[in-house]
Amino acid sequence: MRALLTGATCLALCVNGWGRPVAAQDREDAPSLRRNHVAISGGLNLAGGYPIGDATADLRGNGLGGSPPSFTLFRAESSVEAAAGGELRVGFGLSRNVAIEVGVGYSSPDIRTALSQDAEADAITIDAEQLAQYVIDVGATWQLPRPVIAGRVRPFVTGGAGYLRQLYDERTLVETGRIYYLGGGVRAWLRGGDGRRRSLGIRSDVRATWRQDGVEFEETTRLWPSVTAMIFWEP
Amino acid sequence: MTRGLVWILVTLLALAQPAPASAYLKFGYKIGEQTVDVKWPTGPVRYYVNDRDVPGVTAADFRAAVERAAATWQAVPETSLSFDFQGFTAANPNALDGRNTLGFLDRPDLDRVLGATSLLLDAATGQIVEADVFFNTRFPWSVSASGEAGRVDLESVALHELGHLVGLGHSAIGETERTATGGRRVLGSGAVMFPIALTPGATADRVLQADDMAGVADLYSLDSQRGDTGSIRGRVVKNGRGVFGAHVVAFNPATGTLIGGFTLNDNGDFVIAGLAAGPHIVRAEPLDDADIDSFLSGNVDVDFRVAYAPRMAVAPTGGSSASVEIPVVPK
Repeated sequence: MRALLTGATCLALCVNGWGRPVAAQDREDAPSLRRNHVAISGGLNLAGGYPIGDATADLRGNGLGGSPPSFTLFRAESSVEAAAGGELRVGFGLSRNVAIEVGVGYSSPDIRTALSQDAEADAITIDAEQLAQYVIDVGATWQLPRPVIAGRVRPFVTGGAGYLRQLYDERTLVETGRIYYLGGGVRAWLRGGDGRRRSLGIRSDVRATWRQDGVEFEETTRLWPSVTAMIFWEP
Repeated sequence: MTRGLVWILVTLLALAQPAPASAYLKFGYKIGEQTVDVKWPTGPVRYYVNDRDVPGVTAADFRAAVERAAATWQAVPETSLSFDFQGFTAANPNALDGRNTLGFLDRPDLDRVLGATSLLLDAATGQIVEADVFFNTRFPWSVSASGEAGRVDLESVALHELGHLVGLGHSAIGETERTATGGRRVLGSGAVMFPIALTPGATADRVLQADDMAGVADLYSLDSQRGDTGSIRGRVVKNGRGVFGAHVVAFNPATGTLIGGFTLNDNGDFVIAGLAAGPHIVRAEPLDDADIDSFLSGNVDVDFRVAYAPRMAVAPTGGSSASVEIPVVPK
């Protein structure tokens, strides 16, 4: 009963806090970035999977004229599987709430291919390849002016663009592309956060990432979600 | 200096029998311990056309159809292959006269053969010295632009025969079914160089497929372009031992192209060249319902089921993949 009451109270306060202006005192107390200081974040990234194309191995059909219906030898549906990886971000506080940052990430997702419609073989799925995937991006975060959930947790929105480099397993071939992302997250200060002293905290981002080019079997843009859990430090 | 010459007779296009599979195959000629590609030396392939008319096809029609087929091969990008029509001749396409001649012959003894190509090779180099192609008058031919039901499209068959004339063997990329008469009917083919023709009236084989183009590019690639493609190598194994004569096809899901090859030794090794850089799905199947002799000679193993490589093979630009092993099981 008590826990429920506490939860309900918190929810009410949060909603109320979003719905009306806060006093100047609240903003002063809310943790913030260190202006003109660097912030370093590092941790884990979990990226969701996404399809990279369906393809049919068609043979030329046999019929009158020049364009008879084709004959399907087999069909292949490929996807990049979800994968965990590492991420490091270096940001620079332009103000107490706005930072620009550069991020690098590494992961090694598998490509999986489902083979079907083969008249002479059963449908199977093969672990087609393992990629070594690197991302370098430039983005920005804007910290919303009010705390949520608790006084030392502040939400932010983020967006950016970057360069994607994917190497096949044997590292004999490279595919490159571009990524764009939008998302949001929260920073929770464990120490500092007054904008003047060193601070330490944890950060979690949820992003939607669009990708152009890279390992892809169709001419299209792909979208996948990702979640990060990082520690940040403002020296 | 005297040079030895060797006749090779290549019989092509039995009218109604195919097989399942995929792959281009080059003719090879063994000189000592080394097998060299059978191909023309640099320069255009000069040819003559027999001046005989047959029902439905005049000599001029014949020449035009052959010229279109030659132009199709010549148009394969990044290759040095070219043809040059020299004129009409009264000589039949079976005479050792130093001329490359194409024309009709009446061959009732080859009642399932639409056409055939004969090559005369220089035994010292493996280079082609002379080539003749005949088209069997036992079949009704057509040069209609849109094809004629019941008549064999001359340009399609000429395209196939010219493939042999430049040094290509049969491709196994195709699927067939048995007919009520015991023959075979093509369900689909992935190469003009598939040994069995499409149904009379079909004209689709006037256009080369990826496997054909990879084959001719392998033989006549411009030096400057050799580094633009890659290859996949590997091995087909059954019970731990290599499989000879397996047909292996590489499918590029990005381009939708199929290019094939064969395991050509007892170790089950294969190499498929001329591939666009990128990952490929690799599939192995037996040459089990075609005339095996139209592809390979030797003890071809057809007792295994279709199988895929357990992972994709990546053809790098200008290089070869790591070896891909495809385990197969007996039927």
